[in-house]
Amino acid sequence: MEQDEWAVTAELAALKLSEGEKKRLVKQAEQMRKLYLSMSSAVVDNLEPTTHASVVKNRVRKDEVKPFKDVDTLLDASNELDDRFFLIPNVL
Amino acid sequence: MNSSLKIFIGLEIHIHLKTESKMFCPCSAHYGDEPNTNICPICLGYPGTLPLLNERAIEHGYLVARALGCRLSNRISFARKNYFYPDMPKNYQISQHNHPVGIGGTIEVDFNDLGAKRIRIHNVHLEEDAGKMIHANDATLLDYNRAGYPLLEIVTEPDLSRGEEAELFLRDFQRLVRYLKVSDGNMEEGSMKCDANISINLPGRGLGTKVELKNMNSPRFVRLALGYEIERQSKLFNSGGEIVQETRLWNENRDITLPMRRKETPDDYRYFPEPDMPSFVSNAAFLKRIENQLVELPLAKKRRLQSEYDLKVEQAEFIHNDIAMVTLFEDTVKSGASARNVAAWLSSDVRKLLNRDKRTLADTPLNASRFSSLLTLVDQGRISGKIAKNVLKDIFSEDADPESIVEKKGWFQISDPNELGKIVDQVVSQNPDVIEIISGGDSKQKSWLMGEIMRVSNGKAAPELAKKILDERIG
Repeated sequence: MEQDEWAVTAELAALKLSEGEKKRLVKQAEQMRKLYLSMSSAVVDNLEPTTHASVVKNRVRKDEVKPFKDVDTLLDASNELDDRFFLIPNVL
Repeated sequence: MNSSLKIFIGLEIHIHLKTESKMFCPCSAHYGDEPNTNICPICLGYPGTLPLLNERAIEHGYLVARALGCRLSNRISFARKNYFYPDMPKNYQISQHNHPVGIGGTIEVDFNDLGAKRIRIHNVHLEEDAGKMIHANDATLLDYNRAGYPLLEIVTEPDLSRGEEAELFLRDFQRLVRYLKVSDGNMEEGSMKCDANISINLPGRGLGTKVELKNMNSPRFVRLALGYEIERQSKLFNSGGEIVQETRLWNENRDITLPMRRKETPDDYRYFPEPDMPSFVSNAAFLKRIENQLVELPLAKKRRLQSEYDLKVEQAEFIHNDIAMVTLFEDTVKSGASARNVAAWLSSDVRKLLNRDKRTLADTPLNASRFSSLLTLVDQGRISGKIAKNVLKDIFSEDADPESIVEKKGWFQISDPNELGKIVDQVVSQNPDVIEIISGGDSKQKSWLMGEIMRVSNGKAAPELAKKILDERIG
């Protein structure tokens, strides 16, 4: 991974990185990339792609409402609320 | 505009699927509730939670794909579409990328005077909706009730070439999803959204630079936005200017499009398979269930209404626009009423009342039994056509059967010869001068006398019988 590619990734992730961080992280990212690339040496001919190791049946649920009983604790976990709205700095 | 330029328009349509619960969790998918009441750790993306597919949403997705003639996927899977914006608390949206519900369909659309055209469908895929954001001064309010609501996205190939075509396509598509009962398809209320991709180029040079248009909340605005954009891009093209790949927003107050942001590419979203959800495999029983839900589609319905019932184009156009209207029409005809008569009533008097009350037929108490009964009363001469219009109004306002309305209001026609004879005698005796004119050879005045008979009888005189008695009295 090149440094400018890393800069694009950081921008998309809204991360502000110092020059030192960029250098350090791009090196680590490259190590990870190489590790993942090593998987490409596996022989996958005639193998159907899967998303999971073992899928024996469809995992679906009926279209039924089961309200979550403790909604207010989810609101309480917020830094700031306005009535029942989560409140954050303007991001428009 | 350079008329030799080729215009390519493709649409990305999102519809909210009609389900009770959300796409991946059992929270209610009901609108209008208090903010952040229909939320749970799954739709808020808490670590350790697992999304679970809503079976009905999948069925709806397959049904639309089937109706659009797509190749149905034997196996569908979901992917994470990563982006950083707080309308999704997870920082990604669960969508479909490589294995959507359907690929490569076509649908024939009737563009009226522009003729019929087949529009190719690129793909049909399921995904979840984002939450709602309200921007106020220096803060943003977040409501995640809508986050996770099931959406179906339909992507067309760039086969449209005018704003008018896009508008008609959308209206046809609204009918389709309503016929299939998978969505309200109402753009004004947000249950259907449409983005448009447009590019222009010289003929034979392929697609031009793609510009995406957003924020159009009615088929009419889609037409206007595309019309504006065709003009803008054509001028730029002809003057040698650069058309930038970007997203632009339609501003309905100024009737223009304005740049929004640099268009993200699929790479920016860094799609990868959703690791928390296995693929869904459709088996024969599932596909049969989908097949059983297919109905006659709107265009086929319109054509059949014309050919089978000999309706005028405008009547068939009006009736096929609303599936409830089609059902009312066909059920009433089945009960023995004349198809042309039923169509005439629907496309005139019923239509006027619906427009007056700003209602759809499904929201009214008019049903086939009542409609048929009303028309029978007219056919049997028990009420006049004029009175029937009043009865129809009362069906709408009082939610009552025609017979009981007519009984209650005393609107049955006077068809007793003795009773009617007395009214005719009264009118004749009160108008000797008119009788004299008629005797002198001016038979046109008979119509005036008939008008008087109707006035004196409060519109209840049976016209044929009244005319017969009048002829007998004055020769």
